[in-house]
Amino acid sequence: MFQKVLIANRGEIACRIGGTLREMGIRAVAVCSEVDADALHVRLADEVHLLGPAEPRASYLNIEAILAAARASGAQAIHPGYGFLAENADFAAAVEGAGLVFLGPTPEQIRSMGDKRAARSIAERVGAPVVPGAEGDDPGALARAAAKTGYPMLLKAALGGGGKGMRVVHDEAELREAFEGTRRVALSGFGDASVYVEKRIERARHIEVQIAGDGQGRVTHLLERECTLQRRHQKVVEESPASNLDPALRQRILRAAVDVAREVRYRGVGTVEFLVARDQFYFLEMNTRLQVEHPVTELVTGIDLVRLQLEIAAEGRLPLGKEEVVPRGHAIEARVYAEDAAAQFLPQAGTASRVRWPRGAFLRVDAGIESGDAVPVHYDPILAKIVAFAPDRPLALARLARALDDALVHGVVTNLPFLRALVRAPEVERAGVDTEWIEREFLHAFAALAGAPAPELALVAAALTDGRSASRAARSGESETPRETAFHAAGPWRLPGLD
Amino acid sequence: MRPVELVPLGSGRYRVTVDQSTFEITVEVLEDGRLRLTHDRGVSVLQVTDSDRKRFVRIGSADFVVERVDVARAGRARGSEDRLESPMPGVVTKVLVAEGDDVKKGQALLAVEAMKMEHLIRAPRDGRVAQLRARAGEMVNGGVPLVELQALESG
Repeated sequence: MFQKVLIANRGEIACRIGGTLREMGIRAVAVCSEVDADALHVRLADEVHLLGPAEPRASYLNIEAILAAARASGAQAIHPGYGFLAENADFAAAVEGAGLVFLGPTPEQIRSMGDKRAARSIAERVGAPVVPGAEGDDPGALARAAAKTGYPMLLKAALGGGGKGMRVVHDEAELREAFEGTRRVALSGFGDASVYVEKRIERARHIEVQIAGDGQGRVTHLLERECTLQRRHQKVVEESPASNLDPALRQRILRAAVDVAREVRYRGVGTVEFLVARDQFYFLEMNTRLQVEHPVTELVTGIDLVRLQLEIAAEGRLPLGKEEVVPRGHAIEARVYAEDAAAQFLPQAGTASRVRWPRGAFLRVDAGIESGDAVPVHYDPILAKIVAFAPDRPLALARLARALDDALVHGVVTNLPFLRALVRAPEVERAGVDTEWIEREFLHAFAALAGAPAPELALVAAALTDGRSASRAARSGESETPRETAFHAAGPWRLPGLD
Repeated sequence: MRPVELVPLGSGRYRVTVDQSTFEITVEVLEDGRLRLTHDRGVSVLQVTDSDRKRFVRIGSADFVVERVDVARAGRARGSEDRLESPMPGVVTKVLVAEGDDVKKGQALLAVEAMKMEHLIRAPRDGRVAQLRARAGEMVNGGVPLVELQALESG
């Protein structure tokens, strides 16, 4: 096993990886940007190396600086976490080129799964269903393909991602009209004018499968996760196992995921994502990294996925038995973000002056900040993940709701009020949602809740703290302001973001 | 805007006027800094955290963020739409105009980026850029004035 591992990331995931390293007696090397010099992931590490200025390109995306830190520290392996360089094939190759171990798949596997065309053809090769569609430069041919599968269809750049330039078309006229524009976006955004038309899967659920491979063709799954609760293609709440999933369909999904990963002789842990609508499922993509939502899998399988990554890399084999993994209980996770749900979910930054994460039996909190920590503007706004575990889904959901109630973050606005309302929605309780439900239905309900005026006592308390600081100043002789007038001057107050 | 008036009556008692209603409360500061408010409907324990003009208030398991309004400033902004502020803390990534430029309603003036999200600041009406207080690459806080727009003389 390695003696020293460098974590090329920050925030909650760097803290979480460091925890497993310490459990295994491996020294953890942190890296940081200038604004993160006092961050929690740095405080928890055995050793730290400064990468550069705050901008990600100069720090956490700076391959040269990360390799220099690895060399200076004597680390034998690099864990990329998620985001940043985790799915950058050039980085993986550079790490291996420097004689170090990349805790992830091979550069070729990252490259082929990162290329949508290549990934789709791998899925087709093993018989995993893909969303029906066609690629081409001829609008007539695309229209014929669309007529065969049936509208509505999605028109997008063949090499695109993240919904950029994506258009929903309802008939051939709309398809022909949108064709040229999509071509232009494809060429300017992705360097290839090819257009892809695919069936729009309506009212779909997002089901993904955690897999692990030894790099020589042995692949096993570690159950599925359901991540249907999304806002703008961003997952908000995730759980394992999926609820109300037909057992036969579930088996076919698990098998397809294993087949896709086995086809590329996948090394390490990864996730194969699917859309599920009624009794159909479709391969979406494969993520060649540790996912944000991996804790729900860890809780229901009892397997530490970071430890698994380290063991696969160090020993070249899967340290798992031959028998199928069976879920034990149910786990649900909510992502706490620094964003203002009452103001178009704008990202927030500042100092989280008072932070209290929930505690209790059957709870796990993966957090990247404590009281007094800065939330910088430069990075992903995820602050923590709160995960509840129970023998069944209703109890897990109740525990998550309680935990979200107990969580407190003051100083930076977070999405906690949004999450508290979300996990109590009747549709969420009975698992009757699809990937667009939050935007289509829940946001209106939440806006009404968020728009309700704060209770009078909240305003009174806010005004009182003004008075308190004024009276402290008066006592210390800094100000002649008498108590009375200080209080009279307090207010008025408003709820920001709502008027 | 909801004005609050507090009149101290001695030994922790206050007469409060808010939303046209007036009532009395007793305030105690607990050892951990939380406030215990006793009022005619019972007792509430609140945690208040200061953060610039914002106050984060926790009552039970509900959080509220209230912001102190600078009356003079709010009046100016409402009156003439002449001052455009940073919508969030972030980095100014693009400055698309220069001082003295005439701009059209809806025209993008600058871009502020935070956490991979770009927000374009657009002109709320036709006008002239009287003052530009941001440079590309500069970090700004939320609510900081970035552009002063001046009305064009009509005719």
